Amino acid sequence: MTDYWLSKLFYDLQHDAQLVADYRADMAAVIERYRIKPDVRRALMDDDVAALSPLVNAYLLRFYFQVRGMPQDEFMARLHAMNAPGAPGEPEKVGHG
Amino acid sequence: MAKLVGIFAASHGPIIARDWETMPRDHRAKLTAAFDEIGRRLRACRPDLLVVVSPDHWVNFFINNLPAICIGIGDEHDGPPEPFMKKVYPHTMLKGHAAFGRHLLQTALDNDFDPTLSHRLTLDHGTCIPLWRIGVDPELPLVPILVNDLEAPMPSIRRCFAWGRLVRRAIESYPEPLRVAVLGTGGLSHSIGETTMGWIDETFDHACIDAFARGEERQLDAFLTEQLERTGNGAHEIRDWVIAHAAAGSTGFELIDYFPSPATLVGAGFASWQAPAA
Repeated sequence: MTDYWLSKLFYDLQHDAQLVADYRADMAAVIERYRIKPDVRRALMDDDVAALSPLVNAYLLRFYFQVRGMPQDEFMARLHAMNAPGAPGEPEKVGHG
Repeated sequence: MAKLVGIFAASHGPIIARDWETMPRDHRAKLTAAFDEIGRRLRACRPDLLVVVSPDHWVNFFINNLPAICIGIGDEHDGPPEPFMKKVYPHTMLKGHAAFGRHLLQTALDNDFDPTLSHRLTLDHGTCIPLWRIGVDPELPLVPILVNDLEAPMPSIRRCFAWGRLVRRAIESYPEPLRVAVLGTGGLSHSIGETTMGWIDETFDHACIDAFARGEERQLDAFLTEQLERTGNGAHEIRDWVIAHAAAGSTGFELIDYFPSPATLVGAGFASWQAPAA
Protein backbone atom coordinates (compact mmCIF):
# COMPACT_ATOMS: atom_id res chain seq x y z
CA MET A 1 0.00 0.00 0.00
CA THR A 2 1.50 3.29 -1.07
CA ASP A 3 2.29 5.72 1.74
CA TYR A 4 1.87 9.18 0.22
CA TRP A 5 3.90 11.18 2.73
CA LEU A 6 6.77 8.73 2.78
CA SER A 7 6.78 8.82 -1.01
CA LYS A 8 6.70 12.62 -0.88
CA LEU A 9 9.71 12.70 1.42
CA PHE A 10 11.65 10.40 -0.89
CA TYR A 11 10.59 12.37 -3.97
CA ASP A 12 11.56 15.68 -2.38
CA LEU A 13 14.96 14.28 -1.42
CA GLN A 14 15.49 13.35 -5.07
CA HIS A 15 14.78 16.93 -6.11
CA ASP A 16 16.24 19.15 -3.42
CA ALA A 17 19.93 19.07 -2.58
CA GLN A 18 19.40 21.37 0.43
CA LEU A 19 16.82 18.97 1.82
CA VAL A 20 19.34 16.15 1.44
CA ALA A 21 21.87 18.20 3.38
CA ASP A 22 19.28 18.96 6.06
CA TYR A 23 18.31 15.29 6.22
CA ARG A 24 21.88 14.20 6.66
CA ALA A 25 22.33 16.76 9.42
CA ASP A 26 19.10 16.01 11.28
CA MET A 27 16.84 13.27 9.97
CA ALA A 28 14.29 13.57 12.72
CA ALA A 29 13.77 17.28 12.11
CA VAL A 30 13.13 16.76 8.40
CA ILE A 31 10.78 13.85 9.04
CA GLU A 32 8.77 16.16 11.30
CA ARG A 33 7.98 18.34 8.27
CA TYR A 34 5.99 15.45 6.74
CA ARG A 35 2.92 13.65 8.00
CA ILE A 36 4.88 10.48 8.61
CA LYS A 37 3.20 7.83 10.78
CA PRO A 38 5.06 6.78 13.96
CA ASP A 39 5.84 3.25 12.74
CA VAL A 40 7.14 4.60 9.44
CA ARG A 41 9.24 7.15 11.29
CA ARG A 42 10.78 4.32 13.30
CA ALA A 43 11.53 2.42 10.11
CA LEU A 44 13.23 5.49 8.66
CA MET A 45 15.33 6.03 11.77
CA ASP A 46 16.29 2.33 11.76
CA ASP A 47 17.06 2.18 8.01
CA ASP A 48 14.58 -0.68 7.91
CA VAL A 49 14.51 -1.59 4.22
CA ALA A 50 12.01 -4.40 4.73
CA ALA A 51 9.50 -2.19 6.51
CA LEU A 52 9.76 0.69 4.05
CA SER A 53 9.80 -1.41 0.89
CA PRO A 54 6.05 -2.15 0.67
CA LEU A 55 5.18 1.52 1.18
CA VAL A 56 6.89 3.27 -1.72
CA ASN A 57 7.78 2.85 -5.35
CA ALA A 58 10.83 0.63 -5.69
CA TYR A 59 12.81 3.23 -7.65
CA LEU A 60 12.22 5.87 -4.96
CA LEU A 61 13.29 3.33 -2.33
CA ARG A 62 16.55 2.70 -4.17
CA PHE A 63 17.25 6.39 -4.47
CA TYR A 64 16.48 6.97 -0.78
CA PHE A 65 19.01 4.42 0.40
CA GLN A 66 21.60 5.96 -1.92
CA VAL A 67 20.97 9.25 -0.09
CA ARG A 68 21.36 7.36 3.17
CA GLY A 69 24.74 6.14 1.95
CA MET A 70 23.87 2.45 2.09
CA PRO A 71 26.16 0.53 -0.29
CA GLN A 72 24.29 -1.11 -3.14
CA ASP A 73 25.41 -4.59 -2.10
CA GLU A 74 24.02 -4.09 1.38
CA PHE A 75 20.76 -2.64 0.04
CA MET A 76 20.35 -5.63 -2.26
CA ALA A 77 21.21 -8.08 0.51
CA ARG A 78 18.53 -6.55 2.74
CA LEU A 79 15.98 -6.81 -0.05
CA HIS A 80 16.98 -10.39 -0.81
CA ALA A 81 16.65 -11.29 2.88
CA MET A 82 12.96 -10.49 2.57
CA ASN A 83 12.65 -13.58 0.40
CA ALA A 84 14.14 -15.80 3.08
CA PRO A 85 11.85 -18.36 4.74
CA GLY A 86 10.08 -16.74 7.66
CA ALA A 87 10.85 -13.21 6.50
CA PRO A 88 8.04 -10.63 6.49
CA GLY A 89 5.98 -10.67 3.30
CA GLU A 90 7.68 -9.31 0.20
CA PRO A 91 6.37 -6.04 -1.23
CA GLU A 92 3.44 -6.16 -3.59
CA LYS A 93 5.26 -6.19 -6.93
CA VAL A 94 2.27 -5.14 -9.00
CA GLY A 95 1.82 -2.00 -6.95
CA HIS A 96 5.32 -0.73 -7.40
CA GLY A 97 6.04 -1.61 -11.03
CA MET B 1 4.86 14.92 -45.99
CA ALA B 2 7.15 13.66 -43.26
CA LYS B 3 8.55 10.20 -43.40
CA LEU B 4 9.50 7.57 -40.82
CA VAL B 5 13.10 6.76 -41.68
CA GLY B 6 14.38 4.75 -38.73
CA ILE B 7 13.13 2.89 -35.67
CA PHE B 8 15.42 1.83 -32.82
CA ALA B 9 15.42 0.63 -29.22
CA ALA B 10 18.12 0.53 -26.57
CA SER B 11 18.46 -0.27 -22.90
CA HIS B 12 19.55 2.26 -20.34
CA GLY B 13 20.57 2.11 -16.70
CA PRO B 14 22.12 4.71 -14.42
CA ILE B 15 25.15 2.55 -13.73
CA ILE B 16 26.12 2.85 -17.40
CA ALA B 17 26.79 6.52 -16.74
CA ARG B 18 27.79 6.37 -13.08
CA ASP B 19 30.38 3.62 -13.45
CA TRP B 20 31.33 3.94 -17.11
CA GLU B 21 35.02 4.57 -16.49
CA THR B 22 35.40 1.78 -13.95
CA MET B 23 33.32 -0.86 -15.71
CA PRO B 24 35.17 -4.01 -16.83
CA ARG B 25 36.72 -3.24 -20.20
CA ASP B 26 35.11 -6.13 -22.09
CA HIS B 27 31.71 -5.17 -20.73
CA ARG B 28 32.14 -1.58 -21.76
CA ALA B 29 33.24 -2.75 -25.19
CA LYS B 30 30.04 -4.77 -25.69
CA LEU B 31 27.85 -1.87 -24.66
CA THR B 32 29.85 0.48 -26.85
CA ALA B 33 29.58 -1.78 -29.88
CA ALA B 34 25.81 -2.07 -29.56
CA PHE B 35 25.20 1.62 -28.97
CA ASP B 36 27.63 2.50 -31.77
CA GLU B 37 25.77 0.28 -34.21
CA ILE B 38 22.53 2.06 -33.43
CA GLY B 39 24.38 5.35 -33.87
CA ARG B 40 25.69 4.25 -37.25
CA ARG B 41 22.22 3.23 -38.41
CA LEU B 42 20.63 6.39 -37.03
CA ARG B 43 23.11 8.64 -38.82
CA ALA B 44 22.64 6.64 -42.02
CA CYS B 45 18.94 7.46 -42.06
CA ARG B 46 19.70 11.20 -41.75
CA PRO B 47 16.87 12.19 -39.40
CA ASP B 48 15.69 15.77 -39.00
CA LEU B 49 13.88 14.86 -35.79
CA LEU B 50 13.97 12.10 -33.18
CA VAL B 51 10.90 10.95 -31.27
CA VAL B 52 12.23 9.44 -28.03
CA VAL B 53 9.95 7.16 -26.04
CA SER B 54 11.17 6.78 -22.44
CA PRO B 55 10.05 6.37 -18.86
CA ASP B 56 10.22 9.22 -16.36
CA HIS B 57 12.20 8.24 -13.27
CA TRP B 58 10.32 10.50 -10.85
CA VAL B 59 11.84 13.60 -12.40
CA ASN B 60 8.87 15.33 -14.04
CA PHE B 61 6.04 13.59 -12.26
CA PHE B 62 5.02 12.32 -8.84
CA ILE B 63 2.08 10.29 -7.58
CA ASN B 64 0.03 13.46 -7.03
CA ASN B 65 -0.05 13.93 -10.81
CA LEU B 66 1.17 10.99 -12.83
CA PRO B 67 0.24 10.86 -16.51
CA ALA B 68 0.12 7.62 -18.43
CA ILE B 69 1.65 9.38 -21.44
CA CYS B 70 3.08 12.88 -21.76
CA ILE B 71 4.20 14.50 -25.01
CA GLY B 72 6.90 17.17 -24.91
CA ILE B 73 5.76 19.93 -27.25
CA GLY B 74 8.27 22.62 -26.33
CA ASP B 75 11.08 24.17 -28.36
CA GLU B 76 13.47 23.22 -25.59
CA HIS B 77 13.79 20.64 -22.87
CA ASP B 78 16.11 20.48 -19.88
CA GLY B 79 19.01 18.07 -19.82
CA PRO B 80 19.42 15.38 -17.21
CA PRO B 81 19.30 16.48 -13.56
CA GLU B 82 21.16 13.51 -12.09
CA PRO B 83 24.67 14.45 -10.91
CA PHE B 84 26.13 11.29 -12.46
CA MET B 85 24.65 12.29 -15.83
CA LYS B 86 25.99 15.84 -15.75
CA LYS B 87 29.53 14.47 -15.76
CA VAL B 88 29.09 12.49 -18.98
CA TYR B 89 26.30 14.38 -20.75
CA PRO B 90 26.68 18.03 -19.77
CA HIS B 91 23.87 19.38 -21.94
CA THR B 92 21.64 21.61 -19.85
CA MET B 93 19.26 22.21 -22.73
CA LEU B 94 18.07 19.90 -25.49
CA LYS B 95 16.28 21.07 -28.59
CA GLY B 96 12.63 20.24 -28.99
CA HIS B 97 10.43 20.48 -32.06
CA ALA B 98 7.31 22.37 -31.05
CA ALA B 99 5.58 22.13 -34.42
CA PHE B 100 5.82 18.36 -34.68
CA GLY B 101 5.12 17.96 -30.96
CA ARG B 102 1.89 19.90 -31.34
CA HIS B 103 0.97 17.94 -34.44
CA LEU B 104 1.52 14.67 -32.58
CA LEU B 105 -0.57 15.94 -29.68
CA GLN B 106 -3.37 17.12 -31.98
CA THR B 107 -3.30 13.85 -33.91
CA ALA B 108 -3.62 12.01 -30.61
CA LEU B 109 -6.57 14.11 -29.46
CA ASP B 110 -8.27 13.81 -32.85
CA ASN B 111 -8.02 10.04 -32.54
CA ASP B 112 -9.50 9.82 -29.03
CA PHE B 113 -6.21 9.57 -27.14
CA ASP B 114 -5.80 11.80 -24.09
CA PRO B 115 -2.13 12.45 -23.40
CA THR B 116 -0.89 15.20 -21.18
CA LEU B 117 1.42 17.81 -22.61
CA SER B 118 4.51 19.60 -21.44
CA HIS B 119 6.12 22.69 -22.90
CA ARG B 120 9.36 21.84 -21.10
CA LEU B 121 10.32 18.43 -19.85
CA THR B 122 13.42 17.43 -17.96
CA LEU B 123 14.96 14.47 -19.73
CA ASP B 124 16.57 12.08 -17.28
CA HIS B 125 19.04 9.24 -17.74
CA GLY B 126 16.38 7.09 -19.36
CA THR B 127 16.39 9.37 -22.37
CA CYS B 128 19.90 10.77 -22.16
CA ILE B 129 22.04 7.65 -21.64
CA PRO B 130 21.02 6.32 -25.06
CA LEU B 131 21.46 9.79 -26.61
CA TRP B 132 24.94 10.01 -25.06
CA ARG B 133 26.14 6.52 -25.93
CA ILE B 134 24.55 6.45 -29.40
CA GLY B 135 26.23 9.78 -30.09
CA VAL B 136 23.07 11.60 -31.13
CA ASP B 137 23.89 15.08 -32.39
CA PRO B 138 22.85 17.44 -29.56
CA GLU B 139 21.47 19.76 -32.21
CA LEU B 140 18.98 17.14 -33.43
CA PRO B 141 15.50 18.22 -32.29
CA LEU B 142 13.69 15.78 -30.03
CA VAL B 143 10.04 15.14 -29.34
CA PRO B 144 9.94 13.21 -26.08
CA ILE B 145 7.10 10.86 -25.22
CA LEU B 146 7.24 9.93 -21.55
CA VAL B 147 5.41 6.75 -20.62
CA ASN B 148 4.49 5.65 -17.11
CA ASP B 149 6.58 2.49 -16.94
CA LEU B 150 7.30 2.80 -13.21
CA GLU B 151 4.16 2.95 -11.12
CA ALA B 152 1.10 0.74 -11.44
CA PRO B 153 -1.39 1.01 -12.93
CA MET B 154 0.46 1.50 -16.21
CA PRO B 155 -0.80 1.75 -19.78
CA SER B 156 -1.78 -1.63 -21.18
CA ILE B 157 0.41 -3.24 -23.79
CA ARG B 158 -2.57 -3.07 -26.12
CA ARG B 159 -2.66 0.69 -25.65
CA CYS B 160 1.06 0.94 -26.34
CA PHE B 161 0.52 -0.77 -29.69
CA ALA B 162 -2.17 1.80 -30.42
CA TRP B 163 0.22 4.59 -29.43
CA GLY B 164 2.86 3.26 -31.81
CA ARG B 165 0.39 3.22 -34.69
CA LEU B 166 -0.65 6.73 -33.73
CA VAL B 167 2.95 7.98 -33.76
CA ARG B 168 3.31 6.54 -37.25
CA ARG B 169 0.08 8.22 -38.37
CA ALA B 170 1.25 11.55 -36.97
CA ILE B 171 4.58 11.29 -38.77
CA GLU B 172 2.99 10.41 -42.08
CA SER B 173 0.42 13.18 -41.84
CA TYR B 174 2.86 15.95 -40.92
CA PRO B 175 2.89 18.37 -43.85
CA GLU B 176 6.60 19.24 -43.87
CA PRO B 177 9.11 16.92 -45.53
CA LEU B 178 10.81 15.89 -42.29
CA ARG B 179 12.77 12.69 -41.88
CA VAL B 180 11.70 11.30 -38.50
CA ALA B 181 13.29 8.53 -36.45
CA VAL B 182 11.86 6.85 -33.36
CA LEU B 183 13.90 5.56 -30.40
CA GLY B 184 12.39 3.51 -27.60
CA THR B 185 14.50 3.24 -24.46
CA GLY B 186 14.58 0.88 -21.49
CA GLY B 187 14.28 -2.82 -20.75
CA LEU B 188 14.86 -5.58 -21.19
CA SER B 189 14.48 -7.38 -17.86
CA HIS B 190 15.83 -5.84 -14.69
CA SER B 191 14.74 -5.60 -11.10
CA ILE B 192 15.27 -2.39 -9.13
CA GLY B 193 14.56 -1.77 -5.46
CA GLU B 194 12.50 -4.93 -5.03
CA THR B 195 13.27 -8.25 -3.41
CA THR B 196 14.67 -9.66 -6.64
CA MET B 197 16.95 -6.66 -7.28
CA GLY B 198 19.80 -7.63 -9.56
CA TRP B 199 17.87 -10.47 -11.19
CA ILE B 200 18.19 -10.52 -14.97
CA ASP B 201 15.49 -12.78 -16.34
CA GLU B 202 17.18 -14.19 -19.42
CA THR B 203 14.28 -16.56 -20.11
CA PHE B 204 11.93 -13.60 -20.33
CA ASP B 205 14.39 -11.60 -22.40
CA HIS B 206 14.92 -14.31 -25.02
CA ALA B 207 11.19 -15.01 -25.26
CA CYS B 208 10.55 -11.30 -25.57
CA ILE B 209 13.08 -10.94 -28.36
CA ASP B 210 11.54 -13.93 -30.16
CA ALA B 211 8.10 -12.37 -29.85
CA PHE B 212 9.30 -9.07 -31.32
CA ALA B 213 11.01 -10.97 -34.14
CA ARG B 214 7.79 -12.83 -34.94
CA GLY B 215 6.11 -9.45 -34.82
CA GLU B 216 2.53 -10.55 -34.44
CA GLU B 217 0.81 -8.08 -32.14
CA ARG B 218 -1.70 -10.33 -30.40
CA GLN B 219 0.96 -12.86 -29.42
CA LEU B 220 3.34 -10.16 -28.20
CA ASP B 221 0.51 -8.47 -26.30
CA ALA B 222 -0.53 -11.74 -24.62
CA PHE B 223 3.05 -12.65 -23.79
CA LEU B 224 3.95 -9.29 -22.26
CA THR B 225 0.65 -8.77 -20.44
CA GLU B 226 1.12 -12.11 -18.69
CA GLN B 227 4.87 -12.12 -18.17
CA LEU B 228 5.48 -8.54 -17.07
CA GLU B 229 3.80 -9.32 -13.78
CA ARG B 230 6.20 -12.21 -13.21
CA THR B 231 9.55 -10.64 -13.95
CA GLY B 232 11.48 -7.69 -12.57
CA ASN B 233 9.89 -4.25 -12.45
CA GLY B 234 12.34 -2.69 -14.94
CA ALA B 235 10.96 -4.86 -17.70
CA HIS B 236 7.87 -2.66 -17.73
CA GLU B 237 9.94 -0.27 -19.82
CA ILE B 238 9.37 -2.69 -22.68
CA ARG B 239 6.29 -0.56 -23.35
CA ASP B 240 8.66 1.88 -25.03
CA TRP B 241 9.86 -0.88 -27.35
CA VAL B 242 6.24 -1.82 -28.08
CA ILE B 243 5.49 1.75 -29.17
CA ALA B 244 8.53 1.69 -31.45
CA HIS B 245 7.52 -1.74 -32.75
CA ALA B 246 4.00 -0.61 -33.64
CA ALA B 247 5.33 2.59 -35.21
CA ALA B 248 7.36 0.33 -37.48
CA GLY B 249 4.19 -1.55 -38.45
CA SER B 250 4.98 -4.46 -36.09
CA THR B 251 7.36 -5.90 -38.61
CA GLY B 252 11.01 -5.73 -39.55
CA PHE B 253 12.50 -6.24 -36.06
CA GLU B 254 16.22 -6.88 -36.03
CA LEU B 255 18.14 -7.65 -32.86
CA ILE B 256 21.45 -5.81 -32.79
CA ASP B 257 22.62 -7.41 -29.56
CA TYR B 258 21.41 -8.84 -26.30
CA PHE B 259 23.44 -9.83 -23.30
CA PRO B 260 22.80 -9.98 -19.59
CA SER B 261 24.71 -7.13 -18.02
CA PRO B 262 25.05 -7.77 -14.30
CA ALA B 263 27.47 -4.86 -14.00
CA THR B 264 24.62 -2.50 -14.95
CA LEU B 265 21.82 -4.69 -13.53
CA VAL B 266 19.99 -4.89 -16.88
CA GLY B 267 19.28 -7.39 -19.60
CA ALA B 268 20.88 -5.18 -22.23
CA GLY B 269 18.95 -5.17 -25.48
CA PHE B 270 19.52 -3.22 -28.68
CA ALA B 271 17.36 -3.38 -31.77
CA SER B 272 16.23 -1.68 -34.91
CA TRP B 273 13.27 -2.12 -37.20
CA GLN B 274 13.14 -1.84 -40.94
CA ALA B 275 11.79 1.55 -41.94
CA PRO B 276 8.72 1.57 -44.16
CA ALA B 277 9.40 1.59 -47.89
CA ALA B 278 9.35 5.04 -49.46
